[in-house]
This record gives sequence, structure tokens and C-alpha cells, in this order.
Amino acid sequence: MLELRGLSKHFGGVRAVDELDITVQEGEIFGLIGPNGSGKSTTINLICGVYQETAGTVRFHEELMNGKPPHQRLRAGIARTFQNIRLFPNLTVWQNLWVAQNSPEDLATQGFLSRWFGATRRTRREIATLLELADLEHKSDELASNLAFGEQRRLEFARAAAARPKLLLLDEPAAGMNRQEIHDLSLRIRRIRDSGVTILLVEHVMELVMGVAEQIAVLNFGQKIASGTPGDVQRNKAVQEAYLGTSDSDAPSLDTGD
Amino acid sequence: MSDFLLEFVEITQTIGDGLFFGTTYALIGIGFSLIFGAMRKLNMTYAAAALAGAYVGLAAFTFINAPAPVVFLISALASGLIGGAVYITCFRFIPINNHLAALMASIGALFFIDEIVVHTTDGSPLTFPALFDDVMFEMGPYGVRGDLLFVLAVNIVSTIGLLYVLYRTRLGLATRAVSQQDVAAQLCGIDVHRTNAITFVLAGLLGGIAGSMTASAVGVLSPLITVPLTVKGLIVSVIGGLGSIPGAIAAGLLVGGLENAFLYFRGVNERDMYVLLLLFVFLIFRPDGLFGSAIDRD
Repeated sequence: MLELRGLSKHFGGVRAVDELDITVQEGEIFGLIGPNGSGKSTTINLICGVYQETAGTVRFHEELMNGKPPHQRLRAGIARTFQNIRLFPNLTVWQNLWVAQNSPEDLATQGFLSRWFGATRRTRREIATLLELADLEHKSDELASNLAFGEQRRLEFARAAAARPKLLLLDEPAAGMNRQEIHDLSLRIRRIRDSGVTILLVEHVMELVMGVAEQIAVLNFGQKIASGTPGDVQRNKAVQEAYLGTSDSDAPSLDTGD
Repeated sequence: MSDFLLEFVEITQTIGDGLFFGTTYALIGIGFSLIFGAMRKLNMTYAAAALAGAYVGLAAFTFINAPAPVVFLISALASGLIGGAVYITCFRFIPINNHLAALMASIGALFFIDEIVVHTTDGSPLTFPALFDDVMFEMGPYGVRGDLLFVLAVNIVSTIGLLYVLYRTRLGLATRAVSQQDVAAQLCGIDVHRTNAITFVLAGLLGGIAGSMTASAVGVLSPLITVPLTVKGLIVSVIGGLGSIPGAIAAGLLVGGLENAFLYFRGVNERDMYVLLLLFVFLIFRPDGLFGSAIDRD
């Protein structure tokens, strides 16, 4: 459903993403991994339209996305979460979800008044479902900035789901999480996938990626150096060198921790 | 009554009148703050658009003899439309990070609008209608003109209406979402250009109300009001903290009240000097405005 072909992004002389080819199939959980600075976040930003590509194409359901602004890509079905949380801090939890309900169905069925001035019964019901998914029912009137870190992450997740996306881009969702939280997160990712959403997961935490992803691509210096199932990737020589052969002491281990 | 009591009544009456007029400053300040909050840019045309709107209302009064409430309504709508036009011409197509270009464009538009008004009216002051100007309310030693009371009521209702839209409707929440996190807002499917345009129109509506209320309180409409109103609006939004709406309301009242206090103690010639001095005091000692850091708040 998502096809990146020859996708490149250069910042001055730096090739942050270089001739990248990736295909994500409908309904799968696709992991994108790589050392720090390998171009993972840039790739996500290219897919959702925050950056304009230097060369190459982004196709979603065969449709060319190049040049479309972020809000149109969202309406085409691509939603995302952020590595550093970007909620609307002075809106309540409920309001954060309300303003994010921009699915094509919502836009088509709501009139001007019901869209901008009132919340329809269906809107309220859907927000209730999202609150339940994020386990935040009891916090619905709390300002987003007052939530604990884990709760903010869950709210971002729910906010991305509020637009009923077909493809959900998760940018390092496990950053700063403990093992229990990572476990809960992997259950939540599977649950969303099972409801019909394709997932592209960018992650440092190998325990999560190797646990949930069905296909993985590995980036290094903006290029894809390997791809395949988690097993293929773990055995790949180039991947091991990229992670372990550097002097970068905090390069994450490929060990899944089991 | 003793002299002291008489003077006390006179001072409080003057400051009270100033607070009344301060609600108009608050409206203008809110307009600046709304736009600054949404785009982090100053829209210098704001007061000019407000007065141009009032002139459109006045045209309805002069040519079709529209009653005062209709005149006020037309003023607000016209100013809202001008606000939308200013967004398209001065802000929409200028890169978001180019603050200077947008500022210069809007200063250009300020003079442009002003020139149009001066040329169509020959620059002479025109009578503007008021409501309840033949009524006088007396409370003990104090007196309030009916038309000023009406201005106060309209200003309060508009402010409450705006706050309702901003904090309770999805339209307002979307504009606040954009001002708090514009990248995330786009990625949640919010069309930033559209919400910005709506913000300009909303601010314009408020400006039209403020413009027609100013003219109505004074009794005449003159292109000469543009610059003082722009300056007052900027002072109010700086003292309130740029981008802060509660700050603009408090600062509007503060400036209105103090202005009349200066008027009482120092006379009309020195009044504006002290108001500007107040601005300097704030810029030096409290550059973030009354309520502290407003930049991250909406």
C-alpha cells in the first residue's frame, strides 16, 4: 500500500536519505531500524509530508503523494505519532482527540455547523472509544500538559487513531518506556493492526521491533542495507557491522533481551 | 459634600469612564493577540481594518439610512471580510519564517487602507450613529451615559462570545491547536491556512465591533483615529503579553483606566506620553506582559 521509490532527501551536502526503496504491504507491521542519524525520522517526515523530497516518489494506494501538504496526506489515510511528544498542551485530553477527527468520512458527513461548532453524538461515541483504547477515560477533562509521560504517549497514539488512518507511522513510540510499558505498547500496536491499520514502526528498542514487526528494513547513512524478516535481519552481516562495528558506544544491541 | 469627597467622586468617575472605554482597547488587543497567537506575526492593519469596517457601516447609515444596530453589524462583517483579504494578501503566501516580510506587507496594507478611507471621505470626520445616547443613568453622585453603557455591554458580550468560540467550539480549539503545535496540527489533518484565515476573519469581526463602538462612543468617525488605535492596540497586547487573550483583556482595562487617571491628573496633552511611558516600563521590567511568559500560552 505504501511504496517508496528512489526516495532521497539531501540537507546541503548531507544525504540524510539516499535512493531508498521500501514497500509496505497492507495489514503488516513493518519495522524500520538503524543507528542514530541513519535517516529513519527523515523517512517518516518524507512520508507524511513534513519534508519535501529531493528526488524519488512516495506512493500511497498507488496515488502519488509528492507535493501534497501534511493535512491532505492525513486525509488520504496516513497518520503519525512523534518521537518527542507533540500534543496540544493547553487542550484537554478530550479536546485533543476532538480536533484530530479529520477522517474523510467525518469531513464528508458533517455539515459546517456540526463540524465547527458542536460535537455530534457519533463524535462523542468515537472519542469515548479512543479514550478507552488509550486507557484514559478517567483523565478526559485533564489538560494534556498535566498528564504523566506514559499517559501523554498513549494520548498521542489515540490522537493519531482519531483520524481513522489506514497507515500509522510510529516514530520511536517506546522511547523512555520501561519493560512493562513496552509490553503493553506491543499489545496496543497489534490491536490497532488487527482493526485494519497498517503500521510502520521506527524504533531503537530492538525488543519491541523484533517482537512485533513482520518485515524489517535496516537503514545506515540514509541507505537501506538489509531487509527481510526479523530473523533474516538479525543474521545479516552488514547489519551487525552497522550496529556493532561503530565506535558509537551506545549503539543499541541487536539482542532482543530474551 | 466636602471638597475631598467631591474630588474622590470625580476621580473615580473619570477612572470608571476609562475602564468603560478600556473594554474597546481590550477588543483591539485581543485581535492583535489572536493573530499573534496563531501565526507569531503582527498584523499591523488591524485597527485600520476595524475603522474601514466602521466606514462601510457608516455608508449604510448615510445612503440607506440603516438603523444603528444594523450599522454596527455591517461594520463587524465588513471588517471581518477585510481581515480575510489582509490574510490572503499579506500573510498567506509569505513564507512562515519570514516575519519581516509579513510585517512590512501589513504596514503597507495599513497605509493602503488608510489612504482609501481618506480619499473616499476627503478626510473629514463624519457623524456616526449611537444607541441610547439620550439616556443618562444616575447612581448617587455617579452618572453613566446610556450610549457608553451600551458600548460596554456590546464589548463584554463580544468578548464572552469570542472566549466561548475559542474554548468550547471545535473551530476555536482547532485554531488554538495550530497556535500551540502547528506541525502536529497539520499532521492531525487540520488545514493550517484555513484555520489562519478563520482566525483573521474572527479577529476582523471583533475589530469591526471595536471600531464601530469607538466611533459610536465618540460620535464621529475620522481617519485620524487609525494611528492612535493601532498604537493603543499594540500597547495593550504588549502589556498583556503578546498572544495572551486574558492578558489583553486585563491590559485593555488597565490602559483605559490609567489613561483617564493621567488625563485627570496631568491633562489631555500629557496623557498619551504617560501611556507610552507605561509601555516602556513594561518592556523593561516585564517584557512577557502581565501574566508572565505568554509566548507558550494561548
